[in-house]
Amino acid sequence: MSQTVLNSNVPGGPLADKWQNHKNEMKLVAPNNKRKFDIIVVGTGLAGASAAASLAELGYNVKAFCYQDSPRRAHSIAAQGGINAAKNYPNDGDSVHRLFYDTIKGGDFRAREANVYRLAEVSSNIIDQCVASGVPFAREYGGLLANRTFGGAQVSRTFYCRGQTGQQLLLGAYSGLMRQVAAGKVKMYPRREMLDLVNVDGVARGIVCRNLKTGEFETHAAHAVLLCTGGYGNVFYLSTNAKGSNVTAAWRCHKRGAYFANPCYTQIHPTCIPVKGDYQSKLTLMSESLRNDGRVWVPKESGDTRSPDQIPEEARDYYLERRYPAFGNMVPRDVASRAAKERCDAGFGIGGTGMSVYLDFKRAIQEQGEDAIRSKYGNLFHMYQKITDENPYKSPMRIYPAVHYTMGGLWVDYNLESTVPGLFVLGEANFSDHGANRLGASALMQGLADGYFVAPYTVGHHLASRSLKPVTTAHPNFDQTRQEAKGRVEKLIGVNGKRSVESFHRELGQIMWDNCGMARNADGLRTAADQIHTLRDQFWKQVFVPGSGDSFNQQVELAGRVADFMEFGELFARDALAREESCGGHFREEHATEDGEAKRDDEHFQHVAAWEHTIDGDDVRHKEDLKFETVTPSTRSYK
Amino acid sequence: MNWLTGFLKSSVGRKFVMAFTGLFLCFFLVVHLAGNLMLYIGGEAYNNYAHKLHSNEEFLLIAEVLLFSAFALHIALAFTTTLENFRARKKSYKLVETKRDDRTMPLSASTDYTMMITGMIGLFFLVWHISDFKLEFGWEALLEGQNPAQKVGVILANWSRVLIYTLGSVAFGIHVSHGLASACQTIGFNHPKYTPAINVISKVFGVIVAVGFSSFPILANMYPDLLNFSGVVTNSH
Amino acid sequence: MSDSDNNLTLTLRVWRQDNSETKGKFADYKISRISPHMSFLEMLDILNEQLIAQGDEPVAFDHDCREGICGTCSLMINGQAHGPDKETTTCQLHMRRFKNGDTVVIEPWRANAFPVVKDLVVDRTALDRIIEAGGYISVNTGQAQDGNCLPIPRQDQSSSMDAAACIGCGACVAACKNASAMLFTSAKVSHLAQLPQGDPERPQRVLNMVAQMDAEGFGGCSNTYECEAACPAGVSIEHIARLNREYVKASFCSSATAAEPIQAGE
Repeated sequence: MSQTVLNSNVPGGPLADKWQNHKNEMKLVAPNNKRKFDIIVVGTGLAGASAAASLAELGYNVKAFCYQDSPRRAHSIAAQGGINAAKNYPNDGDSVHRLFYDTIKGGDFRAREANVYRLAEVSSNIIDQCVASGVPFAREYGGLLANRTFGGAQVSRTFYCRGQTGQQLLLGAYSGLMRQVAAGKVKMYPRREMLDLVNVDGVARGIVCRNLKTGEFETHAAHAVLLCTGGYGNVFYLSTNAKGSNVTAAWRCHKRGAYFANPCYTQIHPTCIPVKGDYQSKLTLMSESLRNDGRVWVPKESGDTRSPDQIPEEARDYYLERRYPAFGNMVPRDVASRAAKERCDAGFGIGGTGMSVYLDFKRAIQEQGEDAIRSKYGNLFHMYQKITDENPYKSPMRIYPAVHYTMGGLWVDYNLESTVPGLFVLGEANFSDHGANRLGASALMQGLADGYFVAPYTVGHHLASRSLKPVTTAHPNFDQTRQEAKGRVEKLIGVNGKRSVESFHRELGQIMWDNCGMARNADGLRTAADQIHTLRDQFWKQVFVPGSGDSFNQQVELAGRVADFMEFGELFARDALAREESCGGHFREEHATEDGEAKRDDEHFQHVAAWEHTIDGDDVRHKEDLKFETVTPSTRSYK
Repeated sequence: MNWLTGFLKSSVGRKFVMAFTGLFLCFFLVVHLAGNLMLYIGGEAYNNYAHKLHSNEEFLLIAEVLLFSAFALHIALAFTTTLENFRARKKSYKLVETKRDDRTMPLSASTDYTMMITGMIGLFFLVWHISDFKLEFGWEALLEGQNPAQKVGVILANWSRVLIYTLGSVAFGIHVSHGLASACQTIGFNHPKYTPAINVISKVFGVIVAVGFSSFPILANMYPDLLNFSGVVTNSH
Repeated sequence: MSDSDNNLTLTLRVWRQDNSETKGKFADYKISRISPHMSFLEMLDILNEQLIAQGDEPVAFDHDCREGICGTCSLMINGQAHGPDKETTTCQLHMRRFKNGDTVVIEPWRANAFPVVKDLVVDRTALDRIIEAGGYISVNTGQAQDGNCLPIPRQDQSSSMDAAACIGCGACVAACKNASAMLFTSAKVSHLAQLPQGDPERPQRVLNMVAQMDAEGFGGCSNTYECEAACPAGVSIEHIARLNREYVKASFCSSATAAEPIQAGE
C-alpha cells in the first residue's frame, strides 16, 4: 500500500485568516478576459446551480448539465430541515468558531480543519444571499429571521422554510441559474448524463455525455470542469436519495485520475420510515428537526407488543435521553442511528419486523398544542401519513435508520480541485468538509458555500495561473473518449442476458447493507468485496438491457449507473476494511468502547484515505494527514 | 410591443376584458330585470318606465353602444379564447375525472365547463330577443299601435317565444352563476375574507336571473291574470 | 411484512408511444400480487420487471425523488392528475387506494406545450422557460445585505411560502381543460411579489412571464380550478388572482412592457 502524502494546498497563517489571505493571493482573471473562458458544470443541485450562476455572473461562459428534465429537480430539493449559519441572531452564544468546532467535532475529527473553518466563515453570507434571491425563510412575528435547533449543537442556528428548506434553497439557486440562461451566459443541457471526463495534457478539458432523450453521445470542451453530482448513497439500493442519484460521473473521473477519498464514510440517518416490503424502491426521510419535539423510545420489556398508547410512561425506555442526558434526542445522527440499531438488535424493536423505534410527539402536542406542531412539521406529518396510513398526531411515528448522505467523495484540495488539474468537485460529490459524520443542516450549507463563495474564486485562480492552450472537441482525445463511453453502453446492451438491471442493483444493495451498513467488521467487509466482485462478473454475463442505446431508454441509463456502483461498491468495502478504527458513521465492531461507543485511533488513522485508480484495477490507497492547529481531537461525548 | 396591444393580445389581458365586459353585462341584467319587474306592479308602471327610458335618446344611444360593444367584445373574445384553449391540447385524454370535491355535477354538465354552450344559447336567444323587441321583425302588424306592456303580452303569448325566452333566461342564469364569481377572480378580486361570499352571491345571482327573466314568458301563459300587459286597469274577463 | 392476504390484481391500460413523432396507443397489462402498501410507482416497477422478464420493453415514466418534492413524476391516473388523492404526487400515491379487479387507465400529461418523449414521459422544459423569462430576483452573488435588513411580516412570508411550495410538476397544466399553466406561473409571480426583495422587478416579471407562458402554447385560464384540486403542493388559485392583479397593474400603472418571448432551443 502506497503512503504517498497528498498536498492539500492549505494556505498558511492563522486558521481564521487563511481564507482571507488566500483570496488576497489568488490570481484573478480580468473582467474583459472572463468571456474567453468556458466552464462546464455537471449537476444542478445547490452546488452546481449556485456555481453555474455565480460563474456566469462573473462573465464566464458556462455550460450546465443535469440528468433530470429540469435543473430544478436535483435532489438537493428533498432536504427538509434547514441550513446552519453562525449568525447568532438568537443571542445564544454562537460564533464562527463555535459552528466550526461543532462541525469538525460532529465529523469526529476526520475533516480538514481549514476547509471546515472556511465553511463556517461563509455561512452567514449564504443566508444573506438566499434571502436576497427570494428564499422565504421562516420569520418571527417582528419580521426577522427565525431559527431552530438541530442535532449536535447546543445553539439555535438553523434557518428553515417549513419542512422544505432544500427545495426553497434550490429554487433560489435555480432561479439565479435561469436568470443567467436568459442572459445567454449559461447554456443549459437537461436530460444529459455525463459519462466520461476528457483530459488533454493531464488537465480536465471537457466531458462526454449522453443525451438521454435521443441517445446521442455529445462532447463538450471547456477550460475547467466542475463536478457537482452529489453522493453515492444509492450503492445501497435503498436510500433516501433520488432514484436517479448515482456515482457514475464521479467514478468516471476517478478512472481518469481523480482520487476517491474516504468512500466508506456514509451517513445513516436515524429518522426514516422503516422498510415495509421487498418491493420497496426507496426510503423516505423524516427530518431531523422532528427530534426537536419528538422523543425516541422503545418498550422496556422485550417483546412488548401492546400498542404504543397502551404502554405507560414507566414501561418506556427513552434510550437517547437515558444514554445522552446532555443532548438527549438531539445527539448527532451517527450516534442516534447506532443507538436505534443497538435497541433493535437487542430485541426491543417494535413493529412487525422488530426493526423500528418510536418517535413520539405526544408530550409536544400536549404542551404546545396540535396546531403549533402542525405549523412546524405539517408537511412531514402529512407525508408520513401518506406512506404509512397511520396518523402521527394520534400515535407515534415508527422510524429506523437509513442511508442518507455520503461524506466521502472525490478528493479535493483547499481550492476544491481534484488530483486532475482543472477538475473541481463541489458539494456532496467531494469529501472535504464533513469528516466521518455530517451534522444536520450542514449539507445545504456546504453545497452553497462551495458554489456561491469558494469555486468562483478558486476556478478563476486556475484559469489565470495556468496557461491553458485552446482546445476544441476536434482534439482527438474527445472522439476517443466518446468512443469508449459509447462502447460501454453497447457492451451493456450486447450482454443480452436474462436478468434485469434492477435485480442486480437490489442484490448489490443487500450486500452493502448487510456488511457495510451501520456496523462493520473485517470478515463482513471481506465477504462484501468478494460477493460484489462475483456479482459484477454475473452482471456482465447475465444482464438484460431491453431496447436500444440510440433513443430514450431508462434501462440503459440505469444499467450504466449500476455497472459503476458495482465497481465502486468494492472500493467502498476495501476502504472500510483498511480503516481499522471507528469514527463517525464508520463503525467497526472491533473498535468500540465497552459501552458501545465508537473508538477512534488517531495515532494511525488521523488521515484522509484517497484511492488512486490503476490500470490493473486494484486501487492504491494514499493518505492526506490531518493536522489540527486549533482544535484538539477529543473523544466525542454527547452525554 | 406596444403596451396596449401587448395587454390585449395576452391571455390574461383578454380574460380581463372578458371579465370586465361580463361584469358590465351582469350590471345590465340587473337593470333590465328591474325594469321588467315593473310588469308585476302593473302595465302602467312598465309603460312609464319604458317611456322614460326612450325619452332620453342620447342616454339610450350611449347605453346601447356600450351594451353592444360589451356584447361584441365578450362574444368575440369568448370564441377566440375558447378556440385557442381547445387547441392547446390537440390530443385529448381518454378519461377525465375532476379532483374538486365541491363539484355536484359531472364535468360535462358543470357551469364552468359549459360556459360556451350556455353563452351560445344565450346568444341565440339574444338574436331572437332583439329581433322581437328592438326590431319588431315579423311582428309589425300585431304590434301596431300597442303600448310597450301590450307588446310584451303579444310576443310572449307565442309558444315558440315561451320556449326560446325560457331557455335563454335559464342559460343566462347558469352562465352568470359561474361568470360573476369567475370575473371577480379574473380581475383579481379574491381574498379568503370575501371570496366565499362572492361564490354564494354568484350562484344566487344566477338563480335570480334564471327565475326572474323566465318568469315572464311562463307566467304570461300560465297565469295571464297575474300580469297585466294592457297598461290599463282591467277587471277579470 | 408480507401481505399475502391483501394482494391486488389489476388491469393496467397504459399509453405507449415511441417518441413525439409517432402515434401512440393503449396497451393492456394484467398485474397481480400487488400489496396495498406499495406506492403506485413501485407497482409500475413490478410491471416493468414483468415486461423485462418477458423480453419486452418496459414502460417509460418519469420519477426521481419518490418523496413528493422533486416534481418529476407525473401520470394521469384514471383521468386524474397524480391519481385520486389530494395534495399527493404519484410517487406518494399508494395502492391501498385501489380495489382488487380495478382497471387503471394511465396516460401521460397531455398538452401541446408538453410533447411526449416516450410512453408516459413528457417534455416540460416550457415551464423552465417561463421561469427563465422572469421568475427570479436579479441579484448577483455577493451583493446581498444582511438577511435581517429586510423585515418580512410573518403573514407575507407564510403566504409567499405557500406559493413557493410549487414543485413544478405540471399537474395544473395536465388537469386544466385548457392546458393552462396559470397556476404554475402565478405561483412564482405570487411568491416573489409578496417579498420586498422581489418588488423592484414586479411589473417586468409578470409581463415577461405571462408573455412566455402564452408563447409556449399553453391555454388561458377559465377559472375551473381543477389545477388547484390537482396541485400536489396545495398551491391556491388565490395566487392566480394575485397574478391577474399584478398583470393589470403592470400593464396600466408601470412603464414596463413585455420582452420578446424566449425561443425553445434544440
